[in-house]
Amino acid sequence: MGRIAAAYNWFDERTAIRSLIRKGLYEAVPVRGAWFYTLGSATLVLILLQLITGIFLTLLYVPSVTEAWASLHYLTQHDAFGAIVRGIHLWSAYILLFVIGLHMIRTFFSGSYKRPRELNWVTGVGLFVLVLAMAITGAFLPWDQAAYWTAVVVTNIAVYTPFIGSFLRALWRGADTVGPTTLSRTFGIHVWLIPAILFPLIGAHLALLRKHGEFGSYVNYRGAYRSREGVDVPPAPKQRPIEPPYPAVPTDELWAAPLETEDFYPHQTFKDGVVSAGLVILVFILAVAIGAPLEAVADPATTSYTPVPEWFFLPLDELLLLVPQQLIPLVLVLPTGGVLLLLALPFIDRDPERNPFERPAVMVPGAFAVLFVVILTLLGSGRLFNL
Amino acid sequence: MAHRDPRRLSRRQFALLGTQVAGAAVTVLLGIPIVGFILSPLFRGQQAVWREVGDIGGVPDRQPTKFEVSFPLGEWTSANVKLAVYVVKINTDYRIFSNVCTHMECPVRWEDSLRQFLCPCHGGLYDMNGNNVGGPPPKPLPQYVHRIEGTTLFVQNRFTESV
Repeated sequence: MGRIAAAYNWFDERTAIRSLIRKGLYEAVPVRGAWFYTLGSATLVLILLQLITGIFLTLLYVPSVTEAWASLHYLTQHDAFGAIVRGIHLWSAYILLFVIGLHMIRTFFSGSYKRPRELNWVTGVGLFVLVLAMAITGAFLPWDQAAYWTAVVVTNIAVYTPFIGSFLRALWRGADTVGPTTLSRTFGIHVWLIPAILFPLIGAHLALLRKHGEFGSYVNYRGAYRSREGVDVPPAPKQRPIEPPYPAVPTDELWAAPLETEDFYPHQTFKDGVVSAGLVILVFILAVAIGAPLEAVADPATTSYTPVPEWFFLPLDELLLLVPQQLIPLVLVLPTGGVLLLLALPFIDRDPERNPFERPAVMVPGAFAVLFVVILTLLGSGRLFNL
Repeated sequence: MAHRDPRRLSRRQFALLGTQVAGAAVTVLLGIPIVGFILSPLFRGQQAVWREVGDIGGVPDRQPTKFEVSFPLGEWTSANVKLAVYVVKINTDYRIFSNVCTHMECPVRWEDSLRQFLCPCHGGLYDMNGNNVGGPPPKPLPQYVHRIEGTTLFVQNRFTESV
């Protein structure tokens, strides 16, 4: 036995690393449609990109209203690599929001949230909300004009909460108006509070994924072939080569195990790797070619600056414009209700049917909700950028 | 089997109770200062200060004019923050407006072509008297607490009505 193998055995005896790696790599995943199942790993890769670049940005950034802009201005003007790191942080955040949205839409249309994977979906909705919260709090930090007015408008939305509105707004701002405490608090929320919840939740999301296995979509299951192609019952599902039993709690024999599976490693990791590397390359190109903008330093006394929200805030900003003064709390009620509805989805829609064409009662409202957000975004961008 | 007196704690019950009491003590001892720390700025209130805005003798009649005024930025910093003040003179009467929109606190500006204050964010409109006359703003423009000595304007860092 070679020295390396001996060292590995020594280590394995003390840590059980071999079985951990085996368990991590040799999971059976459905074959058909596997490119769609790369969206989750792409989301994870982009979040890790955020973590790494975010940690390094704190080595220079100063979370103070008198220093924040100047520290980033220095970074942008005098440190080419620092500017790239900041560019990666911004562009991977933008692309992350897209990819996590696609991941959620894929899960929704494939019915993957159904029993026994309800809590995979619930943790996923939690992660989606936390990623949005990261995007919004991150937008405050550069303390340029865009950041300052985003901070003002976003924290001000809280004031329309019934009964405790001004309390909530002051709690976030640390005062009645946006100022030094707002920046300190938002920085702490962005770098500590949300990640401290986000990363354990990612762990739970992945643990549940491994417990129940990748669902895939209806095309991976027996009945689906029959109804789509009119052929007889195809051969029984192949025995999954690797433990644990798949899934832990079979809900319905039809949806218990995919027809055809292959090992996660290297088949799915290849697809995951191609998509993730492609996205990282795209992020890098955008970071170098466009970078992260930094407008003039925050000026609360301006009467010439027109605040333009971040693109992911456009649907809400368009609602702010459209909702008449008597109904402003709708701007809070609609997103809150939307999130609650998403959390409740697997408990409302409990029919085991996964074929999206057989589930119009869920697909049609879902498609309209996506369309509603897209239309608001288009209206907002048309208004603000004269498209 | 010997009978146990049900009124007496078993060894197991005692350990369980002890664990719960210890956990509760740690939660309370940590929780009180942390929650208090987060909430404390809300109860300190803002210290009212007077600041000189400048000479408003030259402000034309019915022509809202922008001034700037510096207020303390925060409690623990000596830095100041500059805010915009719109002085509106109607005959002999002065009104001193903040340019903070009552909808989402965006920076309102006087648009001479409209003869109205316009909020660039969501199209809120206010007339010369600060009344919200169009768009989503739910209230009139806030007015600063102020005093005029001769032609010199002083304002306080608070509004006449809480917004």
